[in-house]
Amino acid sequence: MQLLKSLTLKELRSGLGVTGRYFFRKKITVQYPEERAPQSPRFRGLHAQRRYPNGEERCIACKLCEVVCPALAITIESEQREDGSRRTTRYDIDLTKCIFCGFCEEACPVDAIVETRVYEYHGEQRGDLLMTKEKLLAVGDTHEAQIAADRAEDAKYR
Amino acid sequence: MVNIEINGKVIETRDGVTLIEAADSAGITIPRFCYHSKLSIAASCRMCLVEVEKAPKPLPACATPVSEGMKVHTRSPKAIAAQRSVMEFLLINHPLDCPICDQGGECDLQEMAMGYGSGISRYTEGKRVVHNPDLGALIATDMTRCIHCTRCVRFGQEVAGMMELGAPGRGEHMHIGTYMEGTVDSELSGNVIDLCPVGALTSKPYRYTARPWELRSYHSISPHDCVGSNIRVDVRNGKAMRVVPRENETVNETWIADRDRYSYTANDHPERLTQPMIREEGEWIASDWDTALTRAAEGLKAIAERDGAEQLGALASYSATTEEFYLLQKLMRGIGSGNIDHRLRQVDFRDQAEQPAYPALGQAIQDLELLDAVLLIGSNIRKDQPLLAQRLRKASRNNGAQIMAINAVDYDFTFPLAQKCITTDLGAELSGVLKALLTLTGDSAPDSLQPLLTGVEPSEAQQNIAETLKAAPQATVLLGNTAASYPARAELQALANLIAELAGARVGLLAEGGNSAGAWLAGCLPHREAGGRAATVSGMDWRAMVKAGLKGYLSLGIEPELDCIESAAVTKAMEQAEFVVALTAYTGEGLMAQADVLLPIGTFLETAGSFINTEGHWQSFGGVARAAGESRPAWKVLRVLGNLLDLNGFAYTSAETIRTEMEGLFGDVPIGNRSEWTMSEPTKLHQGLLRIADVPIYAVDPMVRRAMPLQATADALLAVRLSANSRTLEKYGLADGDQATVSQDGGEATFIVAVDERLPDNAVYLPAGISETRGLGGSFSPIQLAKA
Amino acid sequence: MITATRNRRRKGRAKLSEIRNFTLNFGPQHPAAHGVLRLVLEMDGEVIVRADPHIGLLHRATEKLAESKHYVQSLPYMDRLDYVSMMCNEHAFVLATEKMLGLEVPIRAQYIRVMFDEITRILNHLLWIGAHALDVGAMTMFIYAFREREDLMDCYEAVSGARLHAAYYRPGGVYRDLPDKMPQFRGDSKWHSADEMKALNENREGSLLDFIEDFTNRFPGYVDEYETLLTDNRIWKQRLVDVGVMSAERALQMGLTGPMLRGSGVEWDLRKKQPYAVYDKLDFDIPVGTNGDSYDRYLVRIEEFRQSNRIIRQCINWLRNNPGPVMSADHKVTAPSRTEMKEEMEALIHHFKLVSEGFSMPEGEAYAAVEHPKGEFGIYFVSDGANKPYRMKIRAPGFAHLAAMDEMVRGHMLADVVTVIGTQDIVFGEVDR
Repeated sequence: MQLLKSLTLKELRSGLGVTGRYFFRKKITVQYPEERAPQSPRFRGLHAQRRYPNGEERCIACKLCEVVCPALAITIESEQREDGSRRTTRYDIDLTKCIFCGFCEEACPVDAIVETRVYEYHGEQRGDLLMTKEKLLAVGDTHEAQIAADRAEDAKYR
Repeated sequence: MVNIEINGKVIETRDGVTLIEAADSAGITIPRFCYHSKLSIAASCRMCLVEVEKAPKPLPACATPVSEGMKVHTRSPKAIAAQRSVMEFLLINHPLDCPICDQGGECDLQEMAMGYGSGISRYTEGKRVVHNPDLGALIATDMTRCIHCTRCVRFGQEVAGMMELGAPGRGEHMHIGTYMEGTVDSELSGNVIDLCPVGALTSKPYRYTARPWELRSYHSISPHDCVGSNIRVDVRNGKAMRVVPRENETVNETWIADRDRYSYTANDHPERLTQPMIREEGEWIASDWDTALTRAAEGLKAIAERDGAEQLGALASYSATTEEFYLLQKLMRGIGSGNIDHRLRQVDFRDQAEQPAYPALGQAIQDLELLDAVLLIGSNIRKDQPLLAQRLRKASRNNGAQIMAINAVDYDFTFPLAQKCITTDLGAELSGVLKALLTLTGDSAPDSLQPLLTGVEPSEAQQNIAETLKAAPQATVLLGNTAASYPARAELQALANLIAELAGARVGLLAEGGNSAGAWLAGCLPHREAGGRAATVSGMDWRAMVKAGLKGYLSLGIEPELDCIESAAVTKAMEQAEFVVALTAYTGEGLMAQADVLLPIGTFLETAGSFINTEGHWQSFGGVARAAGESRPAWKVLRVLGNLLDLNGFAYTSAETIRTEMEGLFGDVPIGNRSEWTMSEPTKLHQGLLRIADVPIYAVDPMVRRAMPLQATADALLAVRLSANSRTLEKYGLADGDQATVSQDGGEATFIVAVDERLPDNAVYLPAGISETRGLGGSFSPIQLAKA
Repeated sequence: MITATRNRRRKGRAKLSEIRNFTLNFGPQHPAAHGVLRLVLEMDGEVIVRADPHIGLLHRATEKLAESKHYVQSLPYMDRLDYVSMMCNEHAFVLATEKMLGLEVPIRAQYIRVMFDEITRILNHLLWIGAHALDVGAMTMFIYAFREREDLMDCYEAVSGARLHAAYYRPGGVYRDLPDKMPQFRGDSKWHSADEMKALNENREGSLLDFIEDFTNRFPGYVDEYETLLTDNRIWKQRLVDVGVMSAERALQMGLTGPMLRGSGVEWDLRKKQPYAVYDKLDFDIPVGTNGDSYDRYLVRIEEFRQSNRIIRQCINWLRNNPGPVMSADHKVTAPSRTEMKEEMEALIHHFKLVSEGFSMPEGEAYAAVEHPKGEFGIYFVSDGANKPYRMKIRAPGFAHLAAMDEMVRGHMLADVVTVIGTQDIVFGEVDR
């Protein structure tokens, strides 16, 4: 019996059967970039700084994200702004250091620094991956609707 | 001694101490907010509740004295429950400010909430909000965060001696604030920032700039007065962010003066000199070290070779490090000139040869607290040496010390004066006291002092002073900074010495600046070399140099027209000199006009070195902040200058090597405050209108003058004034608020006149060291006053 | 690529009789070397005389870095140790901290952890089987394995927001509860019709648990397919059977753990022998081999696919019926929720302190290990009472396995080295750490 199986290449044929079936089955792949795999609202992608609806930046320079960052990727300089509020004069995230753990977002008491769903970005020079405050705010402005919707959806779990 | 038991540990402790003190000494932590070892007990926060066996309720450890056999539990369920409940109450009205609060990360409330509080909140009602009083340029307020521990109130009342903050209102309406609208003007006010266990009182210049975890702390010594306060400088990325006291019971306890705390703000002042500069055909051009140092060395060498080394003079700041003083004098003496001086606010040098090794307090700073009688002569000790004044206040409060003053201005002190004599003729008053003492003891004065005593009849006040000093078991006579710049300083010191001797008291000299003692010991003097040895090449004191019109000067850390008491004369001398090299941390109008080469040096924050304080305590410190621009520590600049001048013995590799060399030279310096000077002829004081010119608290050195927060305080703002008592003003047809022009030594200036009844007749008060009075003459010297 | 250096013969002294062994550098840039392994092989012709693994090319000082960070800050670095079994690494880390703190973890969090541990095991074994088969010459397996990994990484992303480096377990529980919605494919597409998209989204209509359940329904069928392709395949057997044999005794002596040990017939599994989390409440079996060769280890891992699937199904059942907290309420250690943090003073203070300083660990030491897909993965802490570990030591199974490399390949042919690397399931993130 074993000899028969062996001589008829049974196990190879059944293997080919498996691959053959998949050959004719519907493909499960999607056509990137027109189509995309699903993304969780918890996704931790590119960082953004958010604003309040009135346009005021949320960040209050508490520096909790800076201190919790395990990779020391965040650099903040702060001062008292003319109106007396506590504000950053510099807020840099070095994406080449960042490990995307999401702790900065967890630490932020005012939901200012967030990680968005954006995962397609690149830099052509080293400095391009140093996210300054302006760049972060710009990301936030572009994606605010999505950011807000994601936070709202996940609010009950956090 | 009693035996108590805390958490099962048997502790033997002194009778009468409180539980919290006993626990602290045994290393057992009890949480607290309102308790502070230097302040009275309020027991208002209730955080230190502990369980005491047989007591029906938990007791506050800070207000419960120990008694024999007491059994205390600080972590029993009952104690924990009590502490947790107190914490909950403290937090109900606390705003959710941690993210924007400067105290965050070093906040007692946070620590206690983590360590002793509950993890969850049960409070859902609204929180109260409290108005923030404006306390001035130094202290920021967020009074909603206040937990009413009243440490700040007690500090003002007990230590600073100014009842500026209080706690009006009761219950929900209680709040901390000034009783009336007004700033907190105490020269020790910054200490409430350290005392505040929460973020209600924070430092204004430091506000929002750093988090405690970003700071690296370094030890340093404050250079602004002769106390040598121990400070901790917190540095972020090489920049000094704040200065806080470092505890040293023997020097500054846990306090520092605002001057020590905020002078760091001048470290990055726009006038900071960040690269060497040389004057080319009248124009200043930025240069590099090589060029500038070569230029400086060549300029000095040229004068020495052409006109002789005695045509060169060196003027140093009171607050340079001992190492810098030592190298400066070594350099000058190496060239062959003995013209070296740092005593820029003194004018009378007749007794310099007989002076003690250095101007000393003559006792430990701590011992000031134990005095029974103090005679202050020509001293505004409260503003000049705030922490010594604080010790005297303690002596007065705790020891009932009788403090008496012979002053030219009736200065406000934080202790009551038992006797005071306000006059411009300090010598005459002292003569009166001496006469009274001589009568008391039946001794006779040495012949040399007889001319001062002829015809002197002691007044009642003088009599009282003499009696009090004589009767007191522990008495001290302190000569202050006004006395130091007095034209007849030598007589004052001789009289004070004799008075002290007769009364069985000690003599203390309150020196100017942070390192007078270091300057004396390092030999930054025309007549003495390092270690107090008589100079082989003796030179001129600074006044003689100025009068002689030397060809070249080397200045160290000064702005001559502000740091020398006779502004007019020194400005003229500097401007007429052929070649002036200035080692300075700051540029400034004066130096730009006077100097030919500006060499940037580091401030005390950027330099390693040492200061010797008034009690002879030699304290070293390291550079803590990154050097500004291309500036270098002055000792390095002097070392290279020495090398360029081909002098021997300038091969130091560190500030420590200089100190080691000095230690060998200083050896055992005899400590004593007596001088055996023989007066040949008494100084005649001018009889007309005199100018009293002391140096205001925030004008003592170039750094303090540029500390913007300090310059915005009442002490600095009020210093810019011309005042006299109403009788004097009337004589000149002036009234409060009038414009008046003064002229002195060829200089002229216009001021708004203020009436100040604290002044004696025939005198106007016009401070020195401020830019408004540059170009005028000296203190206790004649001045012309006219309506503008 | 493979580089060879023949020992040079000295000039003028050439003797043909003098034959020396050939030294072969295998890696570190070799596609079959699994990352940055560098093997220095001493060959006698085709036969391995000695194998000398060189490590350290992926050293990132994780242990040393941990000494300068508070405990939670080190957690994301655990993901990066064995970067194909992320959550299992995290599990060992949080178990060690919890052990030192004496912290109670909510039962629901423990079930979630166990479920994701097993998902991770499947993830790891999928990568192993794909890579192992690819190394040995079977391309298809790799594609199939990654198809399944895709679903499981979607689960990772759904709970943590990251497909690989999750940072999801925390001392005291897990960061967030399981979401009750699964992200879906977006409907508009020019490549797929609406119906096709709907079909793609079919198993994503419900919660994450529904999605995982759907996976567990499908997965045994997939495993059957893998077995059809490999188990009886003559090439596969020729390459695996009797290659890299480890006796039970030797395996124990070498400190091998996990499938490497069980393949040799030692029934040792921490989930059974030192149950942690809720493994003692679950029903599963431990497969063991008999011969200790690569083929047995293959069979053991295949069976672990099925057993893990079984465990996941039990967890799903339990989690469906038992809602509750997923994080300890002891806010001296675990951060309060965001809503509390924004509204309550106590919560804000605890949040602030935990973020900036972390919790202080009582003085002492602790070792906690989990049955990691590769073996015993342990974290050892020594604390001096501060908020940072005085010392952290990682016990990585791959390190011990790699040490057995020489013994396993000696006397085999060069091509068998590839098989042994595959069967060891080496990942350099944990070996070099």
